[in-house]
Amino acid sequence: MTLGVTTEQEELRASVRRFLNDRAPLPRVRELMETPDGIDRAVWQQAGAQLGLLGLAVPEEYGGSGFSFAEQAIVLEELGAALYGGPFFASAVLAATALLASPDEGARRDLLPQIASGEVIATLAFTEDDGSWDPAATRLTASKTGDDWRLDGHKSFVLDGGSAGLILVLAVADGSLSLFAVDADAAGLARTVLPTLDQTRKLARLEFGGVAGRLIGSPGDAAAVLDHVLDVAAIALAAEQLGGAQRALDMAVEYSKVRHQFGRPIGSFQALKHRMADLLLEVESLRSAVNYAAAAVADGSAEVPAVASLVKAYASETYFHVAAENIQIHGGIGFTWEHDAHLYFKRAKSSELFLGDGAYHRERLADRIRL
Amino acid sequence: MELDLGPEIAQFRAELRDWIAAQAPPGLAALFDWNMVMTAGGRRGEQLARAMAHPAYAQWSATLQENRLICPQWPAEFGGQGMDAVRVAVLNEEFHRAGVPRVNRGMGESLVGPSIIVHATPEQRAYFLPRIISGEDVYCQGFSEPNHGSDLAAVETRGVVNGDEIVITGQKVWTSGAARANRMFLLCRTDVRAEKHAGLSYVLIDFTDPGVTYRPIKQLSGAAEFCEDFIDGVRAPLFNVIGGLNNGWRVAMTTLGHERGGRATVAHLGYEREFWELVETARKRGKTGDPLIRQRLAWAYTQVELMRYSGLRTLAQLAAGRPPGPEASVAKLFWSEYHKQLGEIAMAIEGADGMLRPDGDGYAVTPWQGVFLSSRAGTIYSGTSEIQRNIIGERALGLPKEPRLVG
Repeated sequence: MTLGVTTEQEELRASVRRFLNDRAPLPRVRELMETPDGIDRAVWQQAGAQLGLLGLAVPEEYGGSGFSFAEQAIVLEELGAALYGGPFFASAVLAATALLASPDEGARRDLLPQIASGEVIATLAFTEDDGSWDPAATRLTASKTGDDWRLDGHKSFVLDGGSAGLILVLAVADGSLSLFAVDADAAGLARTVLPTLDQTRKLARLEFGGVAGRLIGSPGDAAAVLDHVLDVAAIALAAEQLGGAQRALDMAVEYSKVRHQFGRPIGSFQALKHRMADLLLEVESLRSAVNYAAAAVADGSAEVPAVASLVKAYASETYFHVAAENIQIHGGIGFTWEHDAHLYFKRAKSSELFLGDGAYHRERLADRIRL
Repeated sequence: MELDLGPEIAQFRAELRDWIAAQAPPGLAALFDWNMVMTAGGRRGEQLARAMAHPAYAQWSATLQENRLICPQWPAEFGGQGMDAVRVAVLNEEFHRAGVPRVNRGMGESLVGPSIIVHATPEQRAYFLPRIISGEDVYCQGFSEPNHGSDLAAVETRGVVNGDEIVITGQKVWTSGAARANRMFLLCRTDVRAEKHAGLSYVLIDFTDPGVTYRPIKQLSGAAEFCEDFIDGVRAPLFNVIGGLNNGWRVAMTTLGHERGGRATVAHLGYEREFWELVETARKRGKTGDPLIRQRLAWAYTQVELMRYSGLRTLAQLAAGRPPGPEASVAKLFWSEYHKQLGEIAMAIEGADGMLRPDGDGYAVTPWQGVFLSSRAGTIYSGTSEIQRNIIGERALGLPKEPRLVG
């Protein structure tokens, strides 16, 4: 395992940060969050074709640039810091990881290059109205007529489900979990974009009425695929949460240095200084954990399942804690719509709930270390 | 997963592992659980003393000394081998793996030696450093006083220069290891007119001097690991003043700043063992199915893992030739606050039985009661959590200092 940051990784971080500063600063995030899909097509294209960010962790044989998950985690951290609201997580993480983990070489060759280039936005639809993150709760069914599969049922909380052109759908086929690729324009598919607490995170509900789908692999393959995807996604989200938490802490620290009350900067009061010291402890611990978890994914370590739940639980609570304290430390201005603190606060909450919160993942961790 | 530190370090590790296997006296590892968390209560202190009195320990110490593996991080000219923090970390890991003691020289190695190396004259180094390595001089710390704990620079113990001697009178407190020490390094005021940081000197005194008396302080845990010390006109040659008269604050600060890196990847090991012992206790009590206990145990496991990840991150930084990051500056706050929580989880697992002490002399406690009680000290000694947060806030975050009261 290697943990040190290489010069190339530092350059990658700097270039992603520069790109987001220039092309997706917070005022632009605010404009886009008011739109149904939250996507700036020019930025998306540049991220894919020009910078190669969308296929960073996709092997070269499938049109990616073949870097490891450690590099992708750096990109995710920067996206989280910038509150990027486009479909990176849905397409480059959820969908790409699902295809890479599936045993279907044909599907990988057909679908991954377009995802890596950004030509196609993809997502993974695995949750339903009950909001369970457990793939075993899947009810949507796939039935076979001749050579064709048809999907019936619904999905909800689908990340960027309103804008994706390609939807990987988790279904029960022949009584076991299976993955299907569905074209967003397919007949019988109705998509509703849902209003979200965190407007930078777009969710949709999908109704399937006899929708044609392409089976990925064989019936029953998807249980193992989803287990792996959800572990990698938990670590990827933790990297995003780290970026957001660090930025929210930076905001609080900077403000408390310049804001004066009672004739002194408020950051000189121990009531605030000590809270920010505790936040630094959490953010730095999270950084150590994300570094380790990303290296574990890159190495294909057997520790990944336990580490994934550990880091998702810790990231969820750390980011929310920092984002909430950031509002409190800003005082009145932090409670306004105009100030950016609420954007981080809401993103922290949606990130905490998405893929399961701290208590959910601690129970999984307890299970995975065989308590 | 083990950190890949490159072929040179891998070779160093392999050779060291073979060397330990060949050199460690048979039975040494079985003498004592050398690597358990120190605060785990019970009769650990007595067991440790017995193990250290065993001939195998003396033999091992001599072997380590011949091979410059005592204080190996000190520069070669001062008796070490200038070992870098990465190799010290590997050394610690391999000694842990083999279950053999590192044989460290306590505060002499970690605090006094570095101060002498940085601030002392060649003659002082030549005299004091070899005596630390050989174990001839064992130091205890004389910093805190009854009226001055966190506000260390306000010490009142006086040092009066008389010819080529300094005469010291005052009271020190919270001294650990007083009974084993033959020397004390202390801060005393040698210029009462100077601004408070400016009038202090750092002096090494003979702790067996008849002018020194010390008394154990019974702690809330029932144990007595600390002493209060009365120093009444103890004389030391000016040769024993390190860094010159009235320069003690700088020397003391070197002391406190010199403990990073080498233990980064072993610091969590004791907590890891302790965690699994608590899981065993919870199993025996049928508590591992309780969802609330499971949450708390998973939380504790997370904290121990975070210590491990941060240690690896620090080591990776050092291996890349960079200084440790902010994760190292929060380490003390992290483990001390964690350990209090662990003590509380242990008491939740003990349930009603936690109210009962075992039979025995004095205030006997169970090991988990010992953890619960003694862990309260961790957030007080070596800089309280509040002092830690001030330091983190001001140094790592760059927050403004509290304005000083004038007058």
